[in-house]
Amino acid sequence: MMHRLAMLAGALMLLAGTASAQDIRLGTVIPLSGGGASYGASIQQGLDMALREINAAGGINGRKITLDVADDASDPAQSVIALQRLVNDNDDLVIGGWGSSQVLANMAVAERAGMPYIVVGASNPRITTSANKWTFRTLTNDNGHAARLAEVVSLLHFKKIAIIYDTNDYGVGLRDIFTAGLAKQGIKAVDVESYQTSDKDFTAQLTHIAAAEPDAVMLFGTLPAIAAIMNQARDQGIDARFLGAAGLSNEAVMKLAPQAAQHAIATAYFHVDTDATAKEWAARYQQAFAQANQAPRPSQAAPAYEALKLMAAPCLAQVGTDKDKLRLCLKAWHGTLFGLPPAEAHFDDTNQLLAPLVVEEVVGTEFKLLPGANQ
Amino acid sequence: MRAGLAVGIASVIALCILGLFASDYLLEIATLVLIESIAVVGLGFLTGFAGRISLAQGALYGVGAYAAALLVTRTGLPPLVGLPVAIVAASVIGTVLGTPAIRLSGLYFVMSTIGIQQILWILLMHWSSLTGGPQGVRGIPALSVGGFVLDTPARFYVAALIGAVASYLLARRVIASRFGLFLRAVSDDELASATAGVAVLRAKATALALSGGWAGAAGFLHAYYLRYVHPDMFTLDLSVVFLTMAMFGGYRSLEGMLLATVILGGASEYLRPFGQFRLVAYGGLLVLSMMFFPRGLLAVLPIRWRR
Amino acid sequence: MLAQLLVGGLGTGCIYALVGLGFTLVYRTMRMVNFAQGQVFMAGTFLGLFGAQQFGLPALPLLLLVAVISFAVGMLLERVVFRRLYASHEVFVVGAIGLGVMIENGFRIVYPEPLPFPKIFGAGVYHLHGAVFQKTYLWILIVTLVLVAALHVMFAYTRTGRALRAVASDGEIAATMGVNVQRAIGATFGLSFAIAAVAGVLIGPLYFVSPDLGDMVGLKAFSAAVLGGINSVVGTILGGLALGLMEALAAFYISTDYKDLLAFAILVLMLLVRPQGLLGRVVPVKV
Repeated sequence: MMHRLAMLAGALMLLAGTASAQDIRLGTVIPLSGGGASYGASIQQGLDMALREINAAGGINGRKITLDVADDASDPAQSVIALQRLVNDNDDLVIGGWGSSQVLANMAVAERAGMPYIVVGASNPRITTSANKWTFRTLTNDNGHAARLAEVVSLLHFKKIAIIYDTNDYGVGLRDIFTAGLAKQGIKAVDVESYQTSDKDFTAQLTHIAAAEPDAVMLFGTLPAIAAIMNQARDQGIDARFLGAAGLSNEAVMKLAPQAAQHAIATAYFHVDTDATAKEWAARYQQAFAQANQAPRPSQAAPAYEALKLMAAPCLAQVGTDKDKLRLCLKAWHGTLFGLPPAEAHFDDTNQLLAPLVVEEVVGTEFKLLPGANQ
Repeated sequence: MRAGLAVGIASVIALCILGLFASDYLLEIATLVLIESIAVVGLGFLTGFAGRISLAQGALYGVGAYAAALLVTRTGLPPLVGLPVAIVAASVIGTVLGTPAIRLSGLYFVMSTIGIQQILWILLMHWSSLTGGPQGVRGIPALSVGGFVLDTPARFYVAALIGAVASYLLARRVIASRFGLFLRAVSDDELASATAGVAVLRAKATALALSGGWAGAAGFLHAYYLRYVHPDMFTLDLSVVFLTMAMFGGYRSLEGMLLATVILGGASEYLRPFGQFRLVAYGGLLVLSMMFFPRGLLAVLPIRWRR
Repeated sequence: MLAQLLVGGLGTGCIYALVGLGFTLVYRTMRMVNFAQGQVFMAGTFLGLFGAQQFGLPALPLLLLVAVISFAVGMLLERVVFRRLYASHEVFVVGAIGLGVMIENGFRIVYPEPLPFPKIFGAGVYHLHGAVFQKTYLWILIVTLVLVAALHVMFAYTRTGRALRAVASDGEIAATMGVNVQRAIGATFGLSFAIAAVAGVLIGPLYFVSPDLGDMVGLKAFSAAVLGGINSVVGTILGGLALGLMEALAAFYISTDYKDLLAFAILVLMLLVRPQGLLGRVVPVKV
């Protein structure tokens, strides 16, 4: 009798062991080299953390999740190949995608292959249109940011606004929607300047802006350029308040422009003070990755974590790894994300997640919620 | 001679078999390598046979890609019409911009091509009304030939393979012709060939036109491969990559160029796990090969193995 | 307003002049263009960053230290790398580009994010005719003047300088006159590295430091050298200043988008119309 039980136990254990052949394969296409390397690292941290938690709790219906990482070197052509590799590896779904140029190129692979693809690192509006069936995007896109910023302008009663934007599609897109938002309030920008992503010197643009005497300067671009702009603007005597979109809501801003960035306002995808879950999560995350190569940046890792833990995992648990069922489950997903103002989020019919944005300002060496803007 | 032919046929057969059995992932890599080989062979007309280094091939490749992309997205013309347009556009632009410079000494010519590369890139990026500027051109449909739509990696691979083989065969014919002879003479000894009656300037300008045309053809395929074009795909870095491939394999050997493209293009993918080290390795490869094999890989093989 | 632009333009102009001098020195001696020059400039900035942050070195000692180290590195690289690239212009150009790629990406591995540079020249600002500018600009101007003067003195009045000029003029004859040509060539590279690296330290406090700093500066300094005359020291300096000023004015009065176009358009035009530059002499090529 005992003999038989032992054999049964052994067989069961063997079966449990072979469950590793039935691991859920999660793929991610992210930059681990090139310009986006630090963002890719943060995304990977977010995914790793969620993955470890899920696996520690027994996995999804007993199946563990493994992460299949493809580095696209921040390059569109390589990004296509990288995502193709994930498809080739028979991954069950992909969460990742950083950089609008890369995603615009590689999403075609996901669409052709019928691979559920949750984009957590690109905000170009043209990623989610009526054409994408398998690609989902959880970040509020640039149109949302620009519209929110126009609301903030109204909230804080700014009257003379100067805009300086990067001539890449990120900056140009933001500029267009923001200008339209201003027009609805009957405001026209007092000066509009442009620059190129790799520029280091902004004397010409800032000289124009200084002459227009704005009370607010809108920065549509990313680091390090916008930090340099802020520094040089203050050096040239411009004391307007700075505002920006997600490019500004990067913790590195305080390191690069410690004085100039004070009281700069940004729209962001995450803030620890919005709810208790966010605070607790951020603390856990900081601790888990305190020794990592890439310093922990909660705002950059949260979207990936939430996409896996709160969206993909429940769907996987509910419908398994059938790709079409996953897609439908995601489409129907709704819930609240931590780190954002309270509201229920869901995907619209272009697979764009509709969720609120945080509005924060730089105070000292931290981002704080902007009072009155985050109801 | 016969050995070379055998190798050639064997390679093509191998590539066809690859197309049948390889995974989509492998096919995508192979497709990119094949497309790049066309641009590299084009560059080879200048570097190997006209004795001129050009760092503008990336931009001309971009001109071809944009010509194809803009034509198909802005007009209702069928995709294949874009091929001659891309070839002509890149060839004309390359010739018009390059010919005034080609009478300069080699060093000054390189410098001019750098200027040309940068100017073309700036125009692609900022002439938004024409090129879409930093938005790039999106929504390029799949390449269709006749009624046949090439919308899977395997099918597109076939197109790229045909293109690469055609490019190679055509190049061989050009090199073997009288014109090719002139080019080599000019590259070996310009003064002597001028005294021998070779229209030096015309020969070089023709080489320019050819290299542009090849770049345009490759660009056309690139546009349909990614189905999205953006100026940042066509920077000086790409020109450097093409130049490396053209020189690494043996600057006078078409086969060497193809081999170099396969090795370097393939290596790029397999070295990717090494992240930033990959780029350091790339630069190191370039420096080391210039230091020790300035005439390219195939030059190291004993004479009777080469043609 | 104009004053602000002129100050900025003069500052960048001095940097183009210094980095451009690096190109010119090597070109005069070897008739080769070292396209890694921009990356040498960038390396100088990081070396300065390291010295200022790790050892808290003040401005002058830092500049001297960076100059000395870069000189040594330049001589070393000439011996180990550049010497094997003299086979032809093309080989040298491609090899130098490869070296540049290595240097830039090597730095990317160690310094993946842009960093602020300590204000080693002081945090104060000056006011002049409505222009506001940092103390750094004054230092850039003064150090450039000092370096140029020092170079002039060296070339005109010292033995070493005369030896370098002799080698630049005709290596064979110089050798017969007892000049150690190999060492002179090494010293030339060393000098070009040192000057570019010093320029890197000068520019540090103005902008953030990142490995891509050298790309554009290298190309533009090169255009400036061609503009003024790549075989003329005075020409290169004037070319650098001219380009810096023209860029600043063009960016403000014409368009910020196309300001880079200016440098390259000038490059191409000069090469087509007057390749020896405004102040250069035509060097006849012996058949």
